[in-house]
Amino acid sequence: MKKKNLKKVLALSLSLAAAISLAACGSTPAETNTKDDTDTTQESDNTEEETESTDKEESSGGKTEISVIAAQYGQNTADWWKTFEADFEKDNEGIDLNVEVISWNDISTTVNTRVANNQAPDILNIDVFADYQADDLLLPAKDYVSEETYNKMYEAFLEQSNVDGTIWAIPDLASARAMYYNKDILEGAGVTAPPTTWDELTEACKKIKEKYPDVYPWGIDMTTDEGQAAFAYYIWNNGGDFTDADGNWTLNSPENVAAIEYAIGLINDGYTNTDPANETRYDLQDMFGTGKVAMMIAPNSLPTYIKDGGNEVNYGMAPIPNNNGTSVSAGVMDRFMCFDNEYSDEEMEAIKTFFDYFFEDERYSAWVEMEGFLPATKTGGEALAAKDESMAEWIDIVGSCKFYPTAKTEWADVKQGVISAEQNALLGESVQEQLDNLQAEIAP
Amino acid sequence: MNETAKKPLNGKKLTLRILLYLVVFIVCVLILYPYFAMLCTSLKGRSEIFAAKGTILPKEALWSNFADIWQRAPMAKYMLNSVLIAGGSTIIALICGIPAAYALSRMKFKGDIVFLGFVIVSQMFAPVVLLIGIYKVMMTLNLTNSILGLIFINAAFNQAFTIWLLRGTFMGISSEMEQAAKIDGCNRFEAMVKILLPVAAPGIVTTLIFVFINAWNEYTVALTLISDDLNKPLTVGINIFNGYNMIEWQYLFAASLFAIAPVVILFAIIEKNLVSGLASGGVKG
Amino acid sequence: MKKFIRKIEPYLWILPSVLLMLIFILVPIVFVFRMALSKVSRAGLIKGFTGLANFTKILSTPTFSMVLKNTLVWTVAVVGLSTLLGFILALILNNAFKGRKIARAIVVFPWATTLVVQASIWKFILDTDYGTLNTLLMKLGIIDHAVNWTPSAGAWFAWEIACGIFVTIPFVTFTVLSGLQSIDGSYYEAATVDGANYWQKLFKITVPLVSSSLTVSTVLNIIYVFNSFPIIWNMTKGDPGNRTDTLVTYLYKLAFYNGKQGEAAAVSVIGFLILLVCATAYMVATLKKGDE
Repeated sequence: MKKKNLKKVLALSLSLAAAISLAACGSTPAETNTKDDTDTTQESDNTEEETESTDKEESSGGKTEISVIAAQYGQNTADWWKTFEADFEKDNEGIDLNVEVISWNDISTTVNTRVANNQAPDILNIDVFADYQADDLLLPAKDYVSEETYNKMYEAFLEQSNVDGTIWAIPDLASARAMYYNKDILEGAGVTAPPTTWDELTEACKKIKEKYPDVYPWGIDMTTDEGQAAFAYYIWNNGGDFTDADGNWTLNSPENVAAIEYAIGLINDGYTNTDPANETRYDLQDMFGTGKVAMMIAPNSLPTYIKDGGNEVNYGMAPIPNNNGTSVSAGVMDRFMCFDNEYSDEEMEAIKTFFDYFFEDERYSAWVEMEGFLPATKTGGEALAAKDESMAEWIDIVGSCKFYPTAKTEWADVKQGVISAEQNALLGESVQEQLDNLQAEIAP
Repeated sequence: MNETAKKPLNGKKLTLRILLYLVVFIVCVLILYPYFAMLCTSLKGRSEIFAAKGTILPKEALWSNFADIWQRAPMAKYMLNSVLIAGGSTIIALICGIPAAYALSRMKFKGDIVFLGFVIVSQMFAPVVLLIGIYKVMMTLNLTNSILGLIFINAAFNQAFTIWLLRGTFMGISSEMEQAAKIDGCNRFEAMVKILLPVAAPGIVTTLIFVFINAWNEYTVALTLISDDLNKPLTVGINIFNGYNMIEWQYLFAASLFAIAPVVILFAIIEKNLVSGLASGGVKG
Repeated sequence: MKKFIRKIEPYLWILPSVLLMLIFILVPIVFVFRMALSKVSRAGLIKGFTGLANFTKILSTPTFSMVLKNTLVWTVAVVGLSTLLGFILALILNNAFKGRKIARAIVVFPWATTLVVQASIWKFILDTDYGTLNTLLMKLGIIDHAVNWTPSAGAWFAWEIACGIFVTIPFVTFTVLSGLQSIDGSYYEAATVDGANYWQKLFKITVPLVSSSLTVSTVLNIIYVFNSFPIIWNMTKGDPGNRTDTLVTYLYKLAFYNGKQGEAAAVSVIGFLILLVCATAYMVATLKKGDE
């Protein structure tokens, strides 16, 4: 009986505590908000304390810890990093490296959630950097990369991460796009040479459609995944661009409008896959592999992709068709960046060691080759070009291609905006109107 | 309604019977078709999946796909994690939910309606929406990247269903027996465990299935909270086949079949108990 | 003392549940409210209070009203049709017939399957170029060339709703079944003696008795469906041009694709308020009915 009473009293006090916390919680929202207004400085102080204390905890093990979040480029990425981690720790005994590989689908969700909770990784490998830079979360590249490694990079690539004269991120790899075509289908339809201009492209599509009604002559991807790429292919090859020479947005320039109208025209004429808003480039690549799509714009990894899928296609490669005399390839570049987590000298050294180790020529070119991309360092480029002739061709292309304006903070909005404009145009809305609205929204 | 089967069939009844079987058959075919498609696809190679002339059955069944996924991903670990997460969530959801439902069905107290309202309101935000907040809580409790954290989250997000369903079940059962037991010297807790719960078994089993399935299938929160590959549940783990460079349908579907099999088996087992629990006439009291 | 303990006893019983929901749901909810009223940077850092700025910005975009309309269509269609069909299916499965056990086990399949997988397989089945539905129909000779099953945004949305119904039916069916099985058989015996036919028994006994257990499951269903994410996300990501977005997929894109977490939080608060009003109205209505 006594025991029971004790239990009840205990439970009572617990429940009281709960009731109090309930009441406290009820009033929290308003409280926190007003606090926000006035006490932001205090809050950020707290955060610093937090990070400091965790730092101490980490270093108490005697080793310097570095955390890396890396994007999963392919099936072998995770395994490669696992080996890298083991090798790195063996060669650098004082450092405890922790690499987390996350798929592209989830990486920005995961990273943003962590950043919002002050749990940014030390090093991040992802495509964009401008948002983190705008929040002063990053360190300048020269702070965390040794001079030797820094000088290995193509300058044009480093320039892609230039904000106000400082380079904030370094390239990890690049890819470029070209047109692939199915030689057998083109020949069968009487197209003697791959199209180089838009008129030739339309003509080729028409011939293919007549001869092979079941084949989609041209592949277009306007999905949320990569619709901005289609936008870039057409505007760049019509003399248009996202911005002018001074970096002002020019989304609704006449060249851009005409370019997108041309692309939508191809779709409406039935020359393309049926559902460009939902069929990703990977769907198209698989269809190209089985001869369902005759021509498409794809990265240099396409041949490997087709082979892995167990298909064989007699393909050729050509510059992307254009409408103004110069073909422009679209380049995509991903990056490494380093979050400002208030490093001690040892930690800073460890991070530099990480990059030196990663960009060591042999290790780096093996990685680039394994992932099927193009190198971002001159030395890596030379090594790969010497080894593989088809690579040499691509390294030339990547040297001359244009990149998305990812250094501008509006880029995320522009990217979603052009995709949405394309998809609305697919639904029959006017391209001009869509791009006018977008331009007004981005650069009022 | 069950009595129809026992009587001899006349013409109209026979037609009804045939109609019944027909409807059930069509429903089953409709439901099974996606699984059939999944199985066939999981046995094909990638070139066959995308071939211009498609096939229904694989030309040659590539059972090796099923072996490959075990090589490419720690499937056994994923499955173990899923079992731990779903099982743990179910246990905690019931441990917390049963007493609450009991209080709501057997006691009058101030704020009971408020509490019930709170339970429903607590469900009105999708976990997707709460991700950042959930992460914050988990960080404070040091539960990020842990299976335990997922267990608590799933248990919490299943409280509404647990409490509402069990409250309904308990209210449908007369409290006379419990009162008799109390006169015999049982306290409330003992009366609940010994008298009420066995009678309420069907409702509890339904709740159990529901929570288990929900926790087994949870995806979004696990995706954000778990960073270590070895702590991932199946739903998140099999996403490796849905990667950046390609969706490998055959592997994705092979792994998916593994992921759904245990739940289906579990249900088959529990369904029997559900029926026998009901057959014993426990509900009538 | 004894009286006091009696008074607080109920609270002890609900305590574990309260704590669980407090920590893991209420605290995150408070956080979302705070974000909705704050300026949030693209990387997700809170940069001070902005009042209702996030709300006014969201409400002024034309997309929002379209997304809101989609959400209502989605919720009403999925919940309404799956409740109706699930109820009918439960009545059928409640009959004694050979293979009933197998049929019931099969009916639970869609429920036991992760939504992500479910959405992927349906997208795969429906694909114009390599989908299994076209292959099947062509082999059976029903069609002679591939049909585009998803020619428009509306068609996509209809398929998504169908998929939503498909996965929600088992939940309804089993709730109704458990309700049906707890109905005392003597009611039916009495009604049979009184000469009631099948339909009279159905509407006078079955429906009223089952609907009490269906009330709760419908409210919960409305909430789950309203907040459902994986089906739409995996099938269309809300494309083309937001035509198939619901509030949840829309806010996910806002938060994690466009980096507008403050506005995303505002959308979820709006969604919450809508649900709150609807669920409260529904519950008040049914509770009143119960009192009568």
